[in-house]
Amino acid sequence: MLFKDQLDFVTQHIKKNKLRVFMTVLAATMGCAFLIVLASVGFGLQDSIRNEILSNEKVTKIQVFGNDKFTEDQIHEIKGIEHVETVLETITVNASAHSFFEGRDTQSSLSVANMHDFEQVNGKLAEGKYPTKPNEIVVGYHFAQTLVNDAERKIIEEKSKKAEAEGTYYNGSEEGYKDSLIGKEIELSLMPPIDGAEETEKMKYTIVGVKKKPSYDWMIDSSVYMDTEQKPMLATNLAATGKVKEDDMFYSEFNIFADSMENVKSILDKLKDKGYSVYSVTEQLDKMNVFFLVLKIGLIFVGTIAVLIASIGIFNTMTMAVTERTREIGVLKAIGASPKLIQRLFLMESTFIGIVGTLIAVAISYVISFVANAALPLILKAATGEDAFGRNEITFSLIPWQLVLIASAISIGVAMISGYRPARKATKIDVIQALRQEL
Amino acid sequence: MKMIQVENLQHTFLIGKKGKEKQVPVLKGVNFEVKKGEIVAIVGKSGSGKSTLLQILAGFMKSEQGSIMVNGKETAHLSEVESAAFRLQQFGFIFQNFQLMPGLTAFENIELPLKLQGIKKAERIEKVKKLMDKVSLTEVADHYPNELSGGQQQRVSIARALITNPPILLADEPTGSLDSETEQDILLLIQSLNRELGLTFIIITHDEEVATIAHRRFRMYDGELVKEEA
Repeated sequence: MLFKDQLDFVTQHIKKNKLRVFMTVLAATMGCAFLIVLASVGFGLQDSIRNEILSNEKVTKIQVFGNDKFTEDQIHEIKGIEHVETVLETITVNASAHSFFEGRDTQSSLSVANMHDFEQVNGKLAEGKYPTKPNEIVVGYHFAQTLVNDAERKIIEEKSKKAEAEGTYYNGSEEGYKDSLIGKEIELSLMPPIDGAEETEKMKYTIVGVKKKPSYDWMIDSSVYMDTEQKPMLATNLAATGKVKEDDMFYSEFNIFADSMENVKSILDKLKDKGYSVYSVTEQLDKMNVFFLVLKIGLIFVGTIAVLIASIGIFNTMTMAVTERTREIGVLKAIGASPKLIQRLFLMESTFIGIVGTLIAVAISYVISFVANAALPLILKAATGEDAFGRNEITFSLIPWQLVLIASAISIGVAMISGYRPARKATKIDVIQALRQEL
Repeated sequence: MKMIQVENLQHTFLIGKKGKEKQVPVLKGVNFEVKKGEIVAIVGKSGSGKSTLLQILAGFMKSEQGSIMVNGKETAHLSEVESAAFRLQQFGFIFQNFQLMPGLTAFENIELPLKLQGIKKAERIEKVKKLMDKVSLTEVADHYPNELSGGQQQRVSIARALITNPPILLADEPTGSLDSETEQDILLLIQSLNRELGLTFIIITHDEEVATIAHRRFRMYDGELVKEEA
């Protein structure tokens, strides 16, 4: 029998029992949609947490512990490892940078780094360029915002008190210097964190670049960054206070950067082999992925139970179909239809139910997922008052193509299996008994 | 030329509860042969074993002993799949209750064996139209079985049996559900098909009247087959 004729045969029978087939398809749809939506929560949470980790840390960064300072040889050796983009030494000055500009001032952290390496790691700036001259600096995205005068300080204080009374927090974003700071000259002194230590003399610097906005809304970056060439001068200034010991002036932090996320693991392995104590956020991701893999398998398993319940419906429908058509099957066999063909016709019918049910389920699941992601944050925000929910940072449900594939395979597979026994039963029908059935 | 040759065909039914079954012999060494182009009638009372003989001939059930040669091929030991394929090629069936598919039109019922043979639509349509014209069914081509008279239904059933050009037609009480006038029509049709197409017919019946169109007649009596003069 030609495949098209087989399809015609199956659709003809489905049309004859529209309501029963519809109800069975509905059950299959509900089972499959439940499976997809349930598992999508696992995928959604994993995605949210993954994004959280990735936005917090640069994925290609490998932190090194236990070495106060790398020697030139060590840096050379590490840079020699395949796929290592750069080794960045960031020196944090053990003093606050007190910046002054047009009657405004602010205190922030001060870091010194090789600007070439720094540029390689941080990439594009929000504004301006990286320093090329000794007195040029880069500031954090919120530096201008934190530059306030006394009047603004009072306003911020009042707004903060008011916000606190309302149970919220005010970050001072409405005050501060509003124009571009690029090309502007500021004065900067150092404030050692030691009791009785005085501020150093003011030094003049020109702001040439503003860093990108931090990945989190709540992060305020008002740091000041300058080239390592400035380090001796900073040391001289700090020494002049007479309170800061030479050993306590700077803290170094070494970070290795890979050229891409995929190569982090190989670099980590090589560094561990060389005896370095290293850490990368990707290791955390790996552990998290294992956890979520187990969670997703668990959710899919629970969802499969719903599909199995739906399969009982398919089994019943197909058994009914075979029983009702006993005489027709008998005639087909009598005129020469092979048992294999009869089995195939019934398997096609149960597969049809599985396929249609799955297709509708996939469409419905995407709608539910979309609605859940749109509505749940609003509901949770209204219920808890947490702003985080309103910012759509959490994906409650995510349906990747892999989930669609897995759910479809389970759903259609289960439909075929539940149709198998009735289909076998159809092939076993006794022609004589079937033909004797009352018309 | 021998179309069918049956030798020493034996079959026993097991009757009764499981474990306490009784053996009832239905066919006790049946021997007969049918020549090409013959109409052979097998008459007998209900329970004489004539239907069992037809079912074994058609391959619906297997005999315990004996051999059946159909058109030069031994069929007694064919598997279920082989038997189905052989049936599709060699036999056409005419049943007492017509056994038409209720959801298919007269045209579609006749077309069904061609579909099973995997023949393309255009060719099927041509063949079915030609045959419907021959058995005077063209006017009711789009009618469903419940919209047809008994005689028309049996004509559709005969057309369905003929559509694949099988050399042998097995008819089980072909006029059992028809009135006497229609019965004559159907018997005339069988005779004309036999004459014009040289088809071999085996008719199983309890009706002596039907048996009169046969070239040779056998009587089934208590599992044994006895030849009678036509």
